Formats: sequence, C-alpha cells, structure tokens
Amino acid sequence: MGAKNKKARSDAVYAKKTVKSSNPFDSSNDPSNKRAGNQNPFDVHVNKEKFQILGRICKHDRGMPGVSRAKALQKRAQTLGQQFAVKHKTNRFKDNRIGKHLSADQLTESVMNARYLAEKMSQVRQSQKSEKFNLNDDELLTHRGQTLEEIEQYRDERSDDEELDDERLDAEFTSAAHFGGDGDAPQDRQTAIEEMISEQKRRKNEIAKEKDEVYDLTEKLDANYKLLLPLVAKATKDEQEAKPPPDAYDKLLKEMIFEPRGSVTDKLINPEELAKQEAERLEKLEKERLRRMRADGEEDEEAEAAKPKHRSADDLDDGYFLAGGDEEADDTLAYDLDGNLGTHLNGKHNGKEGADNEDEENAEDEGDEEGDEDSDEDSDSEVDNLSDLKESDSESEAEETPQPSKKKATKSVDQSSTDVDTSIPFTIKMPKTYEDFTDLLSKHAAPQQATIVERIIKCNHPKLEGVNRENVVKLYSFLLQYIKDLFEDASEQDIRGNFQLFSKLMPHLYDLTQLNPERMSNTLLEVIKEKYGEFRKNHKTYPTLDTLIYFKLVANLYSTSDFRHPVVTPCFIFMQHILSRARVRTRQEISMGLFLTTVVLEFVSQSKRILPAVYNFLQGVVHMSIPKRDVEQIAITPPFEKDGPLSKLLALSSGKETKNLEAQALQATDLVTQTITPDFKVRALNTALQLTVDSLQLVEEHVGVCYLATPFLGLLSRLPLDLYPEHVHLNHKAATELVQRLGGQKMKPLAPAERKPKALRLLEPRFETVYDDKRRPKMSKAKEERAKLLHKIKREKKGAIREIRRDTAFVQELKLKQTLRSDKERQEKVKRIYQEASMQQGELNELARSKKKKKF
Amino acid sequence: MKKPAAKKDEDAGEPVAKKQLQTKANVLLNSKNVDTKILKGFVQMLKDTPDNVQVGDVMNVLEVIFKNLIKRKSLDGAEKTPAKIRELYEETWLLLLENLLQDSESSVTIKVCMQLIKSEAKTPIAPNTSFPFYRIRRILDTLLNAEETPTTALVNYGKYCKNLDILDITLKQLLTLVPKGEFKDQPVKAINFLSLINLIDMGKSVLNGEEYFLETDKASTFNYKQNQKSLNKLWKAVMASSSGVDEKVHRQLLVVLLERVISHLDDPIQLTDFLMDSLHQFDGPIALLALQGIFTLMQKQNITYPDVYEKLYNMFYPRMFYNKYKARLFYLADIFLTSTHLPENLVAAFVKRLARLALQSPTEDAVIMIRFVCNLLLRHTGLQKLIKASGAADEISDPYDEKEPNPVKSEAINSSLWEISLLQKHAIPEVANAARFINSSLPIMEFDLAPLLDRKECNIFDDELQSKAKQFALNYERPGTLALPKNGSVTKYFELI
Repeated sequence: MGAKNKKARSDAVYAKKTVKSSNPFDSSNDPSNKRAGNQNPFDVHVNKEKFQILGRICKHDRGMPGVSRAKALQKRAQTLGQQFAVKHKTNRFKDNRIGKHLSADQLTESVMNARYLAEKMSQVRQSQKSEKFNLNDDELLTHRGQTLEEIEQYRDERSDDEELDDERLDAEFTSAAHFGGDGDAPQDRQTAIEEMISEQKRRKNEIAKEKDEVYDLTEKLDANYKLLLPLVAKATKDEQEAKPPPDAYDKLLKEMIFEPRGSVTDKLINPEELAKQEAERLEKLEKERLRRMRADGEEDEEAEAAKPKHRSADDLDDGYFLAGGDEEADDTLAYDLDGNLGTHLNGKHNGKEGADNEDEENAEDEGDEEGDEDSDEDSDSEVDNLSDLKESDSESEAEETPQPSKKKATKSVDQSSTDVDTSIPFTIKMPKTYEDFTDLLSKHAAPQQATIVERIIKCNHPKLEGVNRENVVKLYSFLLQYIKDLFEDASEQDIRGNFQLFSKLMPHLYDLTQLNPERMSNTLLEVIKEKYGEFRKNHKTYPTLDTLIYFKLVANLYSTSDFRHPVVTPCFIFMQHILSRARVRTRQEISMGLFLTTVVLEFVSQSKRILPAVYNFLQGVVHMSIPKRDVEQIAITPPFEKDGPLSKLLALSSGKETKNLEAQALQATDLVTQTITPDFKVRALNTALQLTVDSLQLVEEHVGVCYLATPFLGLLSRLPLDLYPEHVHLNHKAATELVQRLGGQKMKPLAPAERKPKALRLLEPRFETVYDDKRRPKMSKAKEERAKLLHKIKREKKGAIREIRRDTAFVQELKLKQTLRSDKERQEKVKRIYQEASMQQGELNELARSKKKKKF
Repeated sequence: MKKPAAKKDEDAGEPVAKKQLQTKANVLLNSKNVDTKILKGFVQMLKDTPDNVQVGDVMNVLEVIFKNLIKRKSLDGAEKTPAKIRELYEETWLLLLENLLQDSESSVTIKVCMQLIKSEAKTPIAPNTSFPFYRIRRILDTLLNAEETPTTALVNYGKYCKNLDILDITLKQLLTLVPKGEFKDQPVKAINFLSLINLIDMGKSVLNGEEYFLETDKASTFNYKQNQKSLNKLWKAVMASSSGVDEKVHRQLLVVLLERVISHLDDPIQLTDFLMDSLHQFDGPIALLALQGIFTLMQKQNITYPDVYEKLYNMFYPRMFYNKYKARLFYLADIFLTSTHLPENLVAAFVKRLARLALQSPTEDAVIMIRFVCNLLLRHTGLQKLIKASGAADEISDPYDEKEPNPVKSEAINSSLWEISLLQKHAIPEVANAARFINSSLPIMEFDLAPLLDRKECNIFDDELQSKAKQFALNYERPGTLALPKNGSVTKYFELI
C-alpha cells in the first residue's frame, strides 16, 4: 500500500515536472486523476461516497470495470478456456526438450542432471506445496532394478573383470560371423562357427582355471603371512643386536644426542623484581587475611565509611556517587600558589615502600645464606622456595631480633654455639620413639638442639621421600611433647633456658607446620583439646605453664585474626574460660593471667576484636593493688575476690624500698614462683597499666568502648601512687588519660543502615477500548476474533460464488459459441446441399424442358 | 534362688574369693540344719572385712542367705538355732547400717537392706506380723544422724522413694523423726533432714507411675490426701524449728520448699512472710529462690508484691554468673518479663542491664543474654527504638545509669544498645554472630532459651571443634623467635629469654 502510494506520488510529481499541460482538456493530465494515469476517463467508474469519514482509507472509491473485466476474461480464456478446449481429448503433447537434438552418446552428465531436475520440478509442481521443502526424500535410486545400497552390499571386487567378458560375443567373433569374415576362410560356415565356439569355451576354461589358481595362491599367502609375522619381528631384533660395536665416534654422537641440553631456567631475577614479587605475594596474603577476618555479612569498614549519606530510590547502586566529603582522599593533581606541582598522595604508597624495604632486606639475607643451602632444595616448589627465602640460620636470625636489651645475652651464647656446631652430624635420622628423641636432644645445649631439629627436618623433608611425610608429623608431635616436658614442671633456674630453646625452635615449628598444615594443626588441636579436658575438670585452678606456651605457639603459627579458625577459636574460648574462672591467688597465677592477656592481645592485634575477660583481668590486677580496709568493698567481677586477703594481694604496705625500683618487664621466673615480693607487685601493676593502655587503644575506634573503659576509672583513681616509682606514675597517667577520654566517648544512637528506598512498582498502562458503536455488543477478544473470521469467510464465500458464476457464464458462452458455430456450419452445409440439389434439379428440369422443346 | 550376677570387672584374686563365698553360702543353705557357726563366720567377715574380700560381695552373700532363711522361716521359733540366727540377723543389720554411710558401699548396702525388708515383709518374722516399719525407721535414723550429709546414700534411697509404698512409709516415719530443738543449733542434722524431705517427691510423674515396692501393696492404693496432710504437718514442724538458720540451711530449706513441698501445701499463703524475709535479708541464690517462691505464690495465690521487678532487676549483677542458680534466674526473668503489658522503661532497663552484663560475662551467658535481649525487643516492639534511632540524632554519651537501683528511673529508655554493637566485635564467633541480630531486621520468632540455659563453656568449645570447615590458615610471616614479627606483646611485657 505504502509503496503504491509512494509510486503514485512520484508519478504525480513526474507528471508535474515534465508535462506542462498544453491542452487543458487533456484528461490524461488531470492531476485529480492520479491513479488512472493516461487512461480514458470514461473507463473509470467512481463509487460515490455517502459520508466522508476522516482517517478511513477507501480502496474502492474508483475502479476501471472495463479493464478489469477484460483481464478476467483473458485469464479465464487462458485457464478455463484451455481446459475446455482439451476436454474429452485423450492424447497429450509431451516435449522432452532438454537435449533432444543430442544422440545417445552425446548425452552428458550435465544434460542428464538437468533432465532429472526438470522432472523433479514438475513432480513438485504437481504434488502439494508442502513437499517442496521435503529433504527426506524417500525415493530410491536404482540401477538395473536394484537399489544402489543392495549393489554396494554384494559388490565383489574380484568379479570385476569377469563382468567384462560375459556371455557376449566379442568383436572378433562378431565381425567374423556376422559380416562373413575375410576371404581366406575356406571352411564352410558351420564348421567355422563350431570351431569358434569350442575355441571360445577353451579360452574361458583357461581363464577360469587361472583365476582359481590365483585365488588359491592368495589365500595361501594370506595364511602364511600370519605365520611369518613373529619371525619377521624376531629377525629384525636379532639384526639390531648383531650391530657392530659402536666406535668412539658413535659413542660420542650418542652421548651428544642424549645429553640433556641446557634446561630452560627462569631468567635471573634481579633484586628489584624479586622484591616486587615478594611484595605482591604479601599483598595477596594480606588481602586474604582481611577477607577471613571479616565475619560473613559483616561489611567492610571502608565500604561502610564510603557509603553516601543519602540514597535515592533511583540510585543504580553502581558505586558511582558524587564525592562529597572525601575529596581529600583522592590523589588530585593540583598546583599550589607558587605554581609548583603539588600532588596530594596518600599514605598508601608509603606503606608499600616500607614493605619493599623489608623485602630487600630479605633478599639480602637470602644472598648471604644461599651458599650453605643444600642443592636439592633448589628444585622445590614455589611455596617452599618462598619459605626458604626467609629462612636463615638461627644464629643470624637471633642477632637480627629487634630487641636491643637481649642482644648482649644472646650474642655470647651464639658465639659459643657456632664453635660447637661442627660436632653435630649433618644427617640425622628421624628418631623412632620419643625417648630416642629426648636422648638425642639431651646430649646437646639449647642452641645445638635447635640445629639438630633443623637438620632432622632437612634430612626428612617430605620432598625427599614419601615416608617422611609421616616422619615430620611425628617430629612435630615429639616437639610438642618436648615443649610440654620443658614447661610443665619448669623450675626457677631453667625456665629462662627453656624459653630460649623454645624461641629457637619456633622457626622450625613454623616450617614443620608449613609442610602439612592440616596434619600438624590436628596434632596441635588434639593437644589443646586434651589440655582443655584436664582444665574443665577443675576450672578454678590455672592450667600448667605448657598450656600457655601452646597458646603462644598458636599466636606465632596461625593467622589469629580470622573470624573463625579451627585452631584459634577454640584457643580463644579456652583462654576466656581460664581468665574468667580460674582463681588468682599466687604470683604464678597473676603472671600467668598477665601472660594470657598478652597472648590474647597478640591474637587480636590485627582483628581488633575484644575478649571481655582480658579487661576484667586487668581490672582485677589493679583492684588487687589497692589497699583496702576490712569493711571496704570495691565492686569487682569474679574470679577476683571483693574482700578478704586475696583482694589486696598486690597492695604495697610501705613504699620505702619500692620507690626507687627500675622499670622492669615481667620475668620468666614470675611464671614459676609462688611468693609475692614487693618488686613483683610493682612489676605486675606497671605491666597491667601498660596493658590497659594497649588493649584499650587497640579497640578505641569501636562504638561502645566506654563500657570497657569506665570500670577502670574508679580503680585507677584509688591507687596509692606515692608508694610507686616514677615509671608507674607515668603509665598510670597515660592509662587514666586514655580511660577518661574513652569513658567520655559520645556515640550516635544505633540506627539501621540507610536502606535504599523501595521504588514504586511500575505498571503497564492499561487501556480499555471503549466502543461507542451501540449496535454491536461487547465481546471477548476470542469471540471478536471469531466473528471477524466468520465475516471474512462470508465475504470470501460470496466472492467465490461470484467467481464460479462468472466461470459458468464463460463456459456457457464458449459452449454457445461452439453450438452456434456448428449450427452455422450445418446450415451452410444444408444450404450448399440444397443449392447443389436445386442446381441439379434445375439442370434436370432444363434437360426435361429441352427434351420437351425438342418434342415440340 | 539365683545368686547375684558376678561382677566381671574385678581383679583376678577377688573373683576366687567371691566364688568361695558363694560356694560356702550354697553349702550352708543346702545343708538341712543351718550351721550357725558358718553363718557367724560370714557376719564376722562383714564386721572385719579381710583384705581379700570385698564388702559388697559379703553383703550380697549375706543377703542371699538371709533371704532364703527368712523364706524358710528359719528365724522363727524359740529354739536355740533360730534364736541364734535371729541374733546374727540383728547384728547383720547393725553392720549394714554402719556401712550405709560409706559412700563407696552405700548403693549395695541400701539394695541389700531393701531386699531384706522386702522378704521380711513377705514372710514376717515371728513376733511381728506386718511390714517391718522399724527397719526403715532405722535406716532413716541413720541417714539423719550422719555427721556429714550422706549424698550418695540419699540418692540411692531416693530411688526406692519412687515407689509409692516406701514413700508413704518414709513420710510417716519422718513425721516421728523431726529433730528436737532448733535447726540453727544442729545445722548438719537439719540439712540431713531436709535432704530426706527432698526425697519425698509427690509429683505427677511419680503418682502416675504407680510403682510399688511390694506387689501386695498394690491393693491398698496410695492415699494422696492423707499423705498431703502428713506432709503439711511435717512442714509445719520444720518451719517451727527453722528460725535464724544459717545460709546453707536456709538455701536447702528453700530448695526443698520449692521443689517438693510448696505445691502440696494447703495454705501456702502462710509462707509469704518467710519468703519475703528471705528475699529482703539475703541476696544472691537465697533471694533468687525466695523470688521463685513468691512467683509461685503470685501465680497460684494471687498475692501482690509491688517491687518484685526491682528485686529481680537488682539480681542481675556481674557476680551472678558464678552462682549455681543462674539458669534459674534467667528462667525466672524470662517468665517475669513475658507480659507485654509491662512499662517500656522498665523493660528497657532490663535490656540495658543484660546487654551491659553480656560484656562482662563468660561466653555462654553472653549468648543467652544477647538472645534474651532480642526476645525482649520482639515482645516490646516499642523498645526497638533502642536499636533504631529515628532520624539524625546527635552523638550523646549513654544516659543509662547502671548504679540506679530502681529500673524505672535508670533512663534506659533514652539510651541505645551500643553494647550489642560492641559485642559484635567479640573474639568468639558465636557471640559475635549472636550480636549481629541488630544489623538486619529482627527475627519473627523468639529464640528458645531453654536449650541455651544448660550449655556450659565446654559445650561451646566442643561445638567449635565439631565445625567441619577446616581451613588451617597460617601466619604468613615466619616467626624467627618467640616474638611475633610485629605487635608482639608477649615479648614486650615479659622478659623471657
């Protein structure tokens, strides 16, 4: 329709352009007659419209009845007329037009194909249209009545040449027999034919015989070949063996062939790259650690901080929002007043640099010790290599420890140890039993013991042999047992030595754990479980020192900042249990409690979590340091007593000798001594104050820290400071200030996180069709559709009936024409007969008249 | 008669002795006339208990012998032999009662005693014709006069008190055994007596169980009314002599009262004064028990007690986690605060206090209290403003005054639950997870506190070990020494090396 309109319009335009109508009466150029073009206006019939309806496109406003009638008539003449013409005719005309001029041997493949195609097309035309696209044509192609498949099946390759000379007579024979042959054949025809036939038969026999022989022979050969096969193989092998002995040149060649060519190695990594790699690794590990640190569902602090204050329902939540408050956080490029380029870079980079520095140091370490490392370790996997990177001998490590106070003591010991090291064999077998192990260790001093352990690990590295996997686990459990023995009943004399040994063993324990984290951890966990089992039987007394040492071990080995960790979390529960239940009565118990507190601080140093019992314990220590009269009571949570002698265990009686004490950390011996001395009292309080500051500073950013801090306030104010030395005063001041600051913390009332407001639901507009046409009732959509279809059918039917009527009229007309024609013919014939007859009669009459005349 | 099953777990030497004893007893019983000498030997053995013989075995053997003899009526008659046997029998009883107070033997002894009583009741020894009440009386007497409370013997005897006939007899005998004089002068005896009363369980499960020690007693059904009357009488006597008792006895008194007696008393109102006094004079467990008693009275007798909530409020203080009765306190508090008609500022005070305590308490209590707070917020929807402040509020310091004893005046309603948000940083994941409830919308159902109340710290430890997800994340920095690579606080504060 659109196309038509377009065409009409273009026509009109064309008409306007070209023909400047010279004759105003020329109807063909009438612009109103758009459709008719150059047609006679008398041909056009216009259907009158009763009402002009806006927006209605009327197709039938005008038509050309004459033209269309002629068209219809022509079409009928071509179709119905043809059929009528050949009605009652039996023979049909068939034209094999494709390649009909070609003789049989000129028919090429392409011609045949074209014929086949034409045939196919005519078939398609005859049958339903649906078969036009039928690909699964099940027509069978045949060759001599057999399907091609069947032929394929029974094809016998051997019979190929037989087909060629079958019963047909060959050319020689036929030329001789059919056309009389050449002249030099004196015999008569009968004998010649017989001879020929016998000759023919003989030859055939020969050929058959020959063929049979060939067949038999091939069969035989086939059979023999199979027998021969093994022999062939053997023969070749023998042949190989029988080769002449290789001479020097051959040998050299062989060697050169098989010699491993220089294996591909990583290109030498220069220190910067190494440092970069290490930094990347650390960054990755740190990221993982942070991920583990968060509880599932707990949001990232930073993300929370970055959250916009207001959220709109139209927010796409794509993380894009106008940077309001944190403009300063961006790295912006800016010029200052003097025109210098000043970039606001944040602290991030500094941190990285620091890490880089560290790594460089590590790299240097590695360079130092590469020489004495065994060559077999070089092929270790990356993880191991990395652990090796940091590995260094205990001596050098000890010297590097950042505690200047201990340096002197350790150095002297290390000096001696390096001398004696040569007495230890370099390969040490894994001891079978724990007794063997202790025997082995007891022969040597502490530093050598660590060396022994290190060598055992090296000799029994799982990479060397599969059995070692069990061995290292065993070694680990031996070591745990050894630690237990060291600390369970440690005395004042050997406690320091034991700690030194433990410290030396620490890196090796770490290495062992790295070898098989799961097995080792389970071993350690078993030990802790056992300890807890012992403790829960009587949870009012402190466990033995070895339990605390295991906690320290856990702090050193595991990633304690995890939200949930199979080893760390049970330890947390255990420590909370000890700190909240076990009674504190002696110097040992106070030191153990403080030790636990420090271990907990190590545990939470990165995750910044809180363990309430720690604060309670520190309060308890401060509480014990306050001298109280008998009736006086200051509130304190158990396990500390609020009255009685135990409540003032650490209170100083007179400060004469304690006033001038040096600042001192808690001693190892405190962990094993029972009696409380004045200097211990000062030490404990001082440590407790420092720990208070540390532990509160750790969590100071949390909401609600005031609840942890305020209980300290009352206790700290009641300490009789004048009895204590200067450093306690300082620490007390620091603690009081911090507690006061935190206690006065102002907090925002809790409110749920700003939620994205819920957008209104978007609805599809619902249009209702309003019919003002009253005549037709409202119908459902399906019904309406049906009515429409029925109407269409009705109209189509009408059209069809009209067509049929016209067809009939056409046929009738044809028939009438035929009848009239035949009648006319008959009449003419009759006329002619009459004419002839009358002529004849006339002639007769004339004759008769003439005869009469003659008579007359 | 079958012999008691031989114990398998005894040492190699002892089964022989036991077997010997058994064969000896068999010989004794199989002979026509009872050889009193051998019998005497047995009794002597019980008296001296040689090293190679277990007391329990001897008692078992004697039980078998005497049971058979009683059955054969060998103890009846005035002849010399039965008289002799009778004498030995009485001696055996004396020895048995002595053994009763030894913790290791008490279970066997009680069993032997009760079996002997059973057979005596079936075939009474000549002069008596009915149930040997005096024997039970003697058992009770022994238990009563023990110098230390015989806990195991009491537990074992308690098993027999599940039988209604024994219960009946015990109650009657106890009535006659009420100690003379004030309880405060004889605290041990008082406790023993109260423990005996504690055995009298006339609860529904026992009454419905209808178990009898002797089959014959089944005919005479247990008379609840009568027993209730005697229990009332007994309790009256107890109350009469229990003034000014010390804390331990007082506690026991309250426990017995609450567990066994109060539901059977005719007129529990009379106890009000006693309970009020207990509530006001003591704190800690006694006050708690008294409060429970008052609660029962409030429920059943409609008494009103104005400042019960204040009392309850003040029972929540840090030291209470170290009480034996803390589960009871939580349970009571849960019931007391069930009503949704309580004033919001009162409940808010409870919520704040619980949250504050959760910061100081052991792990398992922290979990209970967090859940409890959550339940309270669900019950009193108005309190949700403690976690959902409206609009942009200013930063304030906590207006809640924890030292204020009156919960209504503590200003808790104007506060906010910062404690819970701090608890989210708890190192133990279970607590941290429990505290996370304020982050999202509150649950629809209340938490059931009952399973939590029984939990111990070790359960949390075990649960943590159970958790399957095992990823042993290691520290990625290799410690060279005892000190951590950074933030090593142990080495900072301890001079260990």
